[in-house]
Amino acid sequence: MSEVALPGQTKRTGVGDAAVVRAREDEDVVVGGEIVRHRLSSRVIHWTVALFFFVCLFTGLPIWTPLFGWMATLFGGLSVCRWLHPWTGVAFSIATVVMFVHWFSEMKLTGKDREFLTPGGLVRYMRYQGEDSEVGKYNGGQKLLFWAAALATLGLLLSGIVMWFPEPFGNGVRQLSYVVHDIAFILFFAMIIGHIYLGTAAEPGTFGAIVRGTVTKEWARLHHPKWYRQVTGDAKKR
Amino acid sequence: MNSPGLQIRQSSAQMWGGGTGQRKMAVVSKYIDTSTCIGCKACEVACQEWNDLGNVATVQIGSYQTVPTLHADLWNLIKFNEQTLPDGGFAWLMRKDQCMHCADPGCLKACPAPGAIVQYENGIVDVNPDACIGCKMCETGCPFDVPRYAARTDKMAKCTLCVDRVDVGLEPACVKACPTGCLHFGTKDDMLALADSRVEQLKGNGFVQASVYNPKGVGGTSVVTVLAHGDHPEWYGLPKDPHVPTGVRFWKNVLRPVGVIAFAAAFFAMVGHYLTFGPKKPKEGGEKSRGEGPV
Repeated sequence: MSEVALPGQTKRTGVGDAAVVRAREDEDVVVGGEIVRHRLSSRVIHWTVALFFFVCLFTGLPIWTPLFGWMATLFGGLSVCRWLHPWTGVAFSIATVVMFVHWFSEMKLTGKDREFLTPGGLVRYMRYQGEDSEVGKYNGGQKLLFWAAALATLGLLLSGIVMWFPEPFGNGVRQLSYVVHDIAFILFFAMIIGHIYLGTAAEPGTFGAIVRGTVTKEWARLHHPKWYRQVTGDAKKR
Repeated sequence: MNSPGLQIRQSSAQMWGGGTGQRKMAVVSKYIDTSTCIGCKACEVACQEWNDLGNVATVQIGSYQTVPTLHADLWNLIKFNEQTLPDGGFAWLMRKDQCMHCADPGCLKACPAPGAIVQYENGIVDVNPDACIGCKMCETGCPFDVPRYAARTDKMAKCTLCVDRVDVGLEPACVKACPTGCLHFGTKDDMLALADSRVEQLKGNGFVQASVYNPKGVGGTSVVTVLAHGDHPEWYGLPKDPHVPTGVRFWKNVLRPVGVIAFAAAFFAMVGHYLTFGPKKPKEGGEKSRGEGPV
């Protein structure tokens, strides 16, 4: 392993730190008992998108229904939400474009992914019966979320522009923008609920991949066997 | 709000309608007889004076109309239309364009800000600027294209039917100013009776298609308009069958509850999944996991 001296750090003997340090620059590499899954830039992009998503969510929900009206208080009232929501939406869209470019090449759906994405495949996965040794770095569900997020963001952005600046548009287009904004949001948020659950409670070790950047070898072998073989194979060559 | 006139029947963005009214009140209405309007604009001036609205420069559009459309500082506009009649005749059609105060207001339906648009027990639909967030959704909800956004205040504005005058027993400023008696104000029942008698009169005078414009699609309006050419409301710039826009109703009545239920369902599905299947862990001691979690 080639070591690079970092400022203020002469020794890199710490067991955990070595993986985290490596994860600043590289991913898909084995460091000791761990594998770097998401390098720093990947994680920063993910959390930037997530941050803007949640600001959009919490400023949008009180505008959407009075059921969540209390959320407006978090930002200083509904007028603030009405001002903050579109600007955050712009920031979210930009962040999503960056994310799209960052992950685009890894998210192409394979034939195996399409099998995974059938109702039967998803049920098998959720029942932990899916035994697919051909799952690479991202499984079909993750790729679906990637494409759904991109599509939903496009729909939210376009309809949001109409809602933000309705004057040039006819009444029919304005009505359509509400419907598109709603449908895109409902599907997107429902998927994000699943995303958060699978990334935390349901699959221990997954949250660390997007926070610390690393996963254990056992985790990789369980969830992404093909990726595990590729990464450890590569590691042996080095 | 102790005044009975300001008791609220329904309010925007409320979970359960938001009514505060404890007493049934007579619904009030304005009566407009387009056939006796001479287009003098006294009502426009009276409206701007009473409501203390800003100046709106007159635009020369080649007709007896002051400006092209309603404005945040002009809640009442006498529209002028020149209409060639099927029999070769010719008509100058004046119509007082203003908020129609629908019984089923699309603006209130579309409004996301709690209490920003209210309907009082007396049927008047009003904007509460303190609660308005200036999102312009009421523009989309209105089938009559009435609410206007004021950039100066970042609020929406429209005719209040002079609720502040009505509440203390006065008639709206425009009615007070009208010199020909084509405007009247009273209970909706009285105004409808007046309109019906005027329609009979017009029919006797040869306007056999005369009718009262009180569209059922929005539950009727608290502005009752007599049209001499009642079979062609579009000649006056009025929609033939106005109703709360389908997109707005679909959004509020269908998508919103479906979405809330979907989120709750997704959340509980995850909880149920966790309780049933638990976390997905590698098999202990297994060289190669079969991917089965503890069930």
